[in-house]
Amino acid sequence: MILGIDIGGTHTDAVCLQGGTILSTIKTLTGEDLVGSILEAIKGLGISHDGIRRVVLSTTLSTNAIVEKKHAKTGIICSAGPGIDPGSFFFGEAFHHVHGAMDHRGREYIPIDRGEVLHAAQRMKESGCTGVGVVSKFSVRNAAHETAIASLVKDSFSHVCLGHTMSGSLNFPRRLNTTYFNAAVMPVQERFVASVTKALEHLGINAPLFFLKADGGTYASAAASRLPVETILSGPAASLMGAVALNSRPQGTVLVLDVGGTTTDIGILVDGIPLLEPTGVDIGGVRTLVRGLKVLSVGAGGDSCVSIEGDELLIGPGRSGPPACMGGSSPTPMDAFTVLGKYDGDARAASRILAPLAERMSLDISQFSSRIIADMVENIRQKASEFIEEVNSHPVYTIQEMLHPDLVQPDRVILIGGPAALLKPYIAEAFGLECEVPGQAMVANALGAALARTTAQITLHADTQIGKVTCPELNMEKKAPTSMDIEDLKTLGLNAIRDNAAMLGLSDRVEAQVIEEQSFNMIRGFSTVGRNMRVKIQTRPGILHEWRGQ
Amino acid sequence: MIKALRKTGLIFFPAYDWEISPTHPERKERLLYTQDQVLEEGILDIDGIREFKAGLADEHDISRAHFCVPDVGSRITPSHNVSAGGCIEAARLVLEGVVDNAFALVRPPGHHAMRVVQGARGFCNINIEAVMVEWVRKHYPKIRKIAIVDTDCHHGDGTQDIYWHDPDVLYISIHQDGRTLYPGSGFPAEYGGPNAAGLTLNIPLPPRTSDEGILCAMENAVMPVLEDFKPDLVINSAGQDNHYTDPITNMSFSAGGYARLNEMLNPHICVLEGGYSIEGALPYVNTGIILALAGVDYSYIREPDYDADALRQDPRITDYISRLCEQIYGMWRSRSELKPERRPFVERSRNIYYDTDGISENQEEVFRYCDACPGTFRIDSSASTGYHILGVHIPHGACDACRDQGMSWFEKADHRYYAVYLQDMDRDIHTFRKC
Repeated sequence: MILGIDIGGTHTDAVCLQGGTILSTIKTLTGEDLVGSILEAIKGLGISHDGIRRVVLSTTLSTNAIVEKKHAKTGIICSAGPGIDPGSFFFGEAFHHVHGAMDHRGREYIPIDRGEVLHAAQRMKESGCTGVGVVSKFSVRNAAHETAIASLVKDSFSHVCLGHTMSGSLNFPRRLNTTYFNAAVMPVQERFVASVTKALEHLGINAPLFFLKADGGTYASAAASRLPVETILSGPAASLMGAVALNSRPQGTVLVLDVGGTTTDIGILVDGIPLLEPTGVDIGGVRTLVRGLKVLSVGAGGDSCVSIEGDELLIGPGRSGPPACMGGSSPTPMDAFTVLGKYDGDARAASRILAPLAERMSLDISQFSSRIIADMVENIRQKASEFIEEVNSHPVYTIQEMLHPDLVQPDRVILIGGPAALLKPYIAEAFGLECEVPGQAMVANALGAALARTTAQITLHADTQIGKVTCPELNMEKKAPTSMDIEDLKTLGLNAIRDNAAMLGLSDRVEAQVIEEQSFNMIRGFSTVGRNMRVKIQTRPGILHEWRGQ
Repeated sequence: MIKALRKTGLIFFPAYDWEISPTHPERKERLLYTQDQVLEEGILDIDGIREFKAGLADEHDISRAHFCVPDVGSRITPSHNVSAGGCIEAARLVLEGVVDNAFALVRPPGHHAMRVVQGARGFCNINIEAVMVEWVRKHYPKIRKIAIVDTDCHHGDGTQDIYWHDPDVLYISIHQDGRTLYPGSGFPAEYGGPNAAGLTLNIPLPPRTSDEGILCAMENAVMPVLEDFKPDLVINSAGQDNHYTDPITNMSFSAGGYARLNEMLNPHICVLEGGYSIEGALPYVNTGIILALAGVDYSYIREPDYDADALRQDPRITDYISRLCEQIYGMWRSRSELKPERRPFVERSRNIYYDTDGISENQEEVFRYCDACPGTFRIDSSASTGYHILGVHIPHGACDACRDQGMSWFEKADHRYYAVYLQDMDRDIHTFRKC
């Protein structure tokens, strides 16, 4: 049995499943104590605990710690050299910029100064920092400075994070942010893992624990303790992975609309795999290198407040309390559905709240109600179409991609969330696409968490002139023979991801695939002096095979 | 987070699958390290700087600027559609007001491509700036006066050729003296055709000119001329081979100097041209230019091996450039005196060598020296490939007499020619007929 638990801001959903069958589901309110909420949900499932072999959590723990700044006091030591002043990127209080610089090929041209590093560490310690992030520009090409700085300061802090281990992507400012957040939430995550593990043991559950990541994959708790920053913004990942699981046909391009109370999240699945942000997700307006789903949030949902400004009808973006049809006092799309007889709410209350607005628009109440739904759906349609256009206008760097673009064009819509069933015919008509509302959509998030495969990505960079292969995510550096070609590098990478599965938090059958590869001959003067090669490898994301009985 | 003073669009198209040949300077690897540097510096996350996808220029777009022989399709590869299309996209973003300025960081380059294209010259097949400029004039007729400031180390003889007779396009080139570098042209005495005298300005600088010298030319020649000309659109042909590390030139310019140059010029559009120090220069120069365009502090941008003392120019170079700038600005001020004596037609003949393809061409040009409009002209071109063609250009704002003359040339071309080509700018008709 697999247990999936999604601890959201308001609700905690849990699901227990075996093979392709959902055994039990529950929805409870999330309390102050997250561990308590988890236990309550598990107890509510009413299942026997001894057959559980996997527990997956999707939490807002790291996200909240970051957004609410409830984390350990953390400092940054960075070496950058010439370039944009790194001080202009950073927002934290304990920031130390020290000497040291690497160029784009990872060649050192300014060494670090031990004394300066030790002095910075001393000052951070005095200011009460318990964790520190160590970040160098181009550390994904050569991590020597980060490694040297870390070894000088590691004994002074309980948590030291190295920038290059966060992600293999180039982007020094994002590396700073990501490393800072990771170091900051490490203690929070560690404490959480310890208490959840203890509580589960108490219930007789000794199954391995996994966490859902922002990219819609999961990883084992040990990896989550090392890289907790990857759990930020796992909420949209849970619902989108739920849609993947509930999607009856994995092939094709699917637009997923998760319609909630006040927002609708728009995402895209291509052959059952969600689209990702090209560089990384933002949290609280800060950019990171955390791989995450590409999701657009539109301020329109079932409980959005309906108002009239001038002669314009507005739906949302805010909410002013529960809908009138549910005992509140706000005019909402749910009231419109009630008036139209599609939702079984308090029809008199709904009519009463909408009537004056209808009058101002010179419409009768049912015309007005239809208009509300139509406008809301049109707003979502328009945003979805802009979203698709944005995805398709992403720059490409080869003539091949320029002349033969791989454009995203959805062929159907999956609707999940509270008002999904009510909206279905309207969405189908407005989008001109087949529209599906899967059963069990109420616990889609928990199901998404339960079924998401463990995933990881690694980046390899080989420079045969310098004679080095680096893989930042694995903190690996190897010799590159002059004869090495792209096939050799791919093989090396595919083996490395399998050999390091445990460190990456992978537990399922590792289906590694090369997702990017580039190889350039390096010419100096008129002769070839080496090859510069880049490879990105990931394990295939998606849901566990057993769900579909494979 | 850093906020840009000006909204800047970046069209990055490194054409990772295109090269002239595997060991040619114009090769797949050329913009790889630039991309690494731009990504690592986090430039694309600066509030106000945004990357856009390149576009595709079609045959019609290209024919506005060129007589391609025998036809457009034979003279270009898809990479040229994209690099010219990238420039057009940059212009569109600026003119639609999406951004304040834009940088087409694209390859292959274009400024050695002349109006007649019998082959490739100086790594260029088509002139990507000219294709862009003609697209702008077609779609934004309000943009009348255009200035192209070419800061590539090589004289932009192609751009000079295309706008030789055009009084609405000011072409200024700063480059290493043609006596010491390809293509061997670009002297002050080349100042434009009879009706556009003084609207081509060449500022040849001695080898080993440093930041000081180039910025002196900007301050004392380029900027005062632009102030007088008052262009509606300013374009920088931003070649980067004046850099002290460039392997095929001899100048001592730095990334900081390029950034300062663009800060002074404040162009609407930058277009990458040459620049073949792909590791030591391009990553830093491009970073500097993007920041300068966006109005973000670039003072910390510096090459790893930058040494201001070692690059300092000889005082004699400083004196020479000061005097040259006086001469150029003087020419500009008294440009009406440069106009030749009026006569019905002005002829010139030239030999042009296409070094990249090893083709030689002979051109006989006849220009109708008109009072009422810029003047129509025809070019009789025969190349060592065997193609002998006639190209007829009827300019923007052509008078009736020039239009009649141009059409008559086009219609009367006989079997001596393989084909006759027509550029009718006002009617946007660009066509050819086999003879």
